[in-house]
Amino acid sequence: MSTGTIYHHLDTLSSLIEQQDNKKYYLSELGLLAYTSLIDNKDNIITPEFSKKEFNSPILKGLMFLTPKTYINYGNKRTYSVMIFTILIALIGSIFCGLNGLFPLFLFFGESLMIFTTVDANIQFLLALFFIGNILLYFLINEGLSRIIYRKKENTLKFLASFAIIFFPLDIYLVLRFILISTGSLDFSYIRVLDNILMILFQVWSLWLLTYNLCINKKLKIENSLIISLLVHYGGFSIILLISI
Amino acid sequence: MTIKKYLDFRLLGLTGSMMLIISEFLPWFSGLSLLNIYILTTSVAIEDSFLYLFPLICGIICLVGAIVIIYNMVYKINSVIINFIGLGFFLIFVVEIIPRDLLYIPNAGIGFYFSIIGSILIFFDILNILLIKQE
Repeated sequence: MSTGTIYHHLDTLSSLIEQQDNKKYYLSELGLLAYTSLIDNKDNIITPEFSKKEFNSPILKGLMFLTPKTYINYGNKRTYSVMIFTILIALIGSIFCGLNGLFPLFLFFGESLMIFTTVDANIQFLLALFFIGNILLYFLINEGLSRIIYRKKENTLKFLASFAIIFFPLDIYLVLRFILISTGSLDFSYIRVLDNILMILFQVWSLWLLTYNLCINKKLKIENSLIISLLVHYGGFSIILLISI
Repeated sequence: MTIKKYLDFRLLGLTGSMMLIISEFLPWFSGLSLLNIYILTTSVAIEDSFLYLFPLICGIICLVGAIVIIYNMVYKINSVIINFIGLGFFLIFVVEIIPRDLLYIPNAGIGFYFSIIGSILIFFDILNILLIKQE
């Protein structure tokens, strides 16, 4: 390497290194901090090259556009506004879950799970309560898995405060479904196809929000967050299938 | 792992999605393929006939996901999300169809087993993609 190139690199690193009396270069205080931080978070850092290429793809650009980042990655000052937002999401979801007469289980809704022939007000209220219970159960399972598999115990309250945001896409789905039922459109087979496709797309959006939330608040790598999302989602599906049978 | 030297585990997704696509054309119940059942149920205007096309749709979407990861390892998150969407179709099919036709499952044809094995392979492909270390 030529002397010029070395000086160029030394110049780039000028804020992180300093030359001492013995003419040797050492890490400055900031450089030492940067080094320690890199070593401590080696497992959590997504390599910039990987992120840049991957996140420039249309799918992830679209998903990132649909992610309410300020409500998931928030500071202490915004805790109350985030909590109000999440409570609103939980309430709207529970109301429309009851109105639709759907039984919630994680990110699934079981129509065939209904053991009652008619959906009266009491059962609607019960289903609405199930929706709230489902959010808490889903949180506990995700928190538990990130603790058991990846030993991530931090930010539990922050994770809980923003957890219901994951159900934001499902709220939209429930509202849309309620409109379809109210207008009688759901009786048409092609609308039922659309209903199924919408549910799949909103589920994937919710899964992405869960992944992002785990990534930000539990400090997990995006791959590890996806593994947890995947395990919980397909675990939930297995339970739905067993109950249906 | 010696096996990893000779076998690219990304092929799991390709195999799984191909099996799902093929299962659409293999016999399921009473010697009829899902495509035959779809045509039959559509002709007698049964509401949920479109569900019988979901394994085929799932196979095609997951095939795209498998091709993306084989084309370039960098797009692994994209591939996983595409697979999530694809498997979503299969999950809906299974939840709707299996409880309804539960009595006929013991006599189900090879198409049923192809689809189940295919979906399991796709599931393991997703896990494998996420566990691959970036070089």
